[in-house]
Amino acid sequence: MDRARPDFRELVGDELTPEERDRLERVHELLVEAGPPPELPPTLAEPPGESTASLIALPRRRAGAMLALAAAIALVAFVGGFVAGKQGVNSGINTFHTLKMHGTAADRNASAKIDIGELDSSGNWPLRVVIHGLPRLPKGSYYEMFLTKHGKAIAPCGIFTVAGDSSTVRLTMPPTLKKYDGWIVTRERTGSSAHPVVLTT
Amino acid sequence: MRRVSASEATDAELILRTGDGDRGAFEALYRRYARPVFGLALRRLGDRGRAEDAVQETFASVWRGAHSYRPDRGPGGPWIYAVARNAIVDRARARSEAPVEAPDQESHDTGPAERAEASWTSWRIHRALEELPDNERKVIELAYWSGLSQSEVAGYLGIPLGTVKTRTRAALARLADQLEEELDGPGTT
Repeated sequence: MDRARPDFRELVGDELTPEERDRLERVHELLVEAGPPPELPPTLAEPPGESTASLIALPRRRAGAMLALAAAIALVAFVGGFVAGKQGVNSGINTFHTLKMHGTAADRNASAKIDIGELDSSGNWPLRVVIHGLPRLPKGSYYEMFLTKHGKAIAPCGIFTVAGDSSTVRLTMPPTLKKYDGWIVTRERTGSSAHPVVLTT
Repeated sequence: MRRVSASEATDAELILRTGDGDRGAFEALYRRYARPVFGLALRRLGDRGRAEDAVQETFASVWRGAHSYRPDRGPGGPWIYAVARNAIVDRARARSEAPVEAPDQESHDTGPAERAEASWTSWRIHRALEELPDNERKVIELAYWSGLSQSEVAGYLGIPLGTVKTRTRAALARLADQLEEELDGPGTT
């Protein structure tokens, strides 16, 4: 791939001694050769947890389970009438599948349960998310839930705040579930460029 | 003896402190090396998801294995490089595939030795970039990888052209100092 190669003389000017010029030009060549460092994805924004046994489990590690879920949802989309009525409706949605989220190193005590309802009339999947253990955030800050693919946040499901140890929020996700393999929740603090993942499937 | 802060400590000091269970030292290592490890993994595996796994596994291994690090056998950077390389190879084996180079790398049919050398060079450069002051790193990244001229960099950052040149020279000199130190270390691959 051709990359625009910066002009070394333009970069450093003509004021250097020959020795210093040679030294810097060697670094210049190495920079050109190395190319740019990659940006870290959100899932790697924070260091792993203290215990090596409880490192942040990225969503893709559960890809198999999520693909199975995707297949199940696709099946239900075809035979939705079969499922409807067999599941409880006390939550306000006809839950046909539930999965768990767990806290990451950023919020180790947090957890959540996602109830996935049937496809609604507007073509989205309703979600009921019960969250435990996430701290209340200052005014202007919030949590955001994303669908992920290979650990990358792809599609936002919605933002929310919490009040107290347990909160319930209603979100939706797009109909094309097969594009995704997990969920994450990030913490978005006012004035901070960090987006730590606090919950993951 | 005064214990230096994590940000001032050498890699070797941070690894030793990590081996003693110092979480702050471990996090400082992560901030220094997460991007270089991710870059190395991307280059070798050619897949972002697997590269992210390799980063996680690298730092899990660093946490577990830091107590085994012996500074008399070499500086910390090459030690972490070796840990990362093992994690990447393991990740490649998990898929029963040989590690690959990312398609945007200029391979020119190079052999394994040349590819290893190129990976090591990128590693050293990316690691050294993490040590630059923010204002110098920004100038270098814009000058080398944005396609902007020096005048355009000055306009983009809203600073005089002379300041861009001064920061560029200072950054290159700082990188040269850091890279010379690392080049003196044993066991580079």
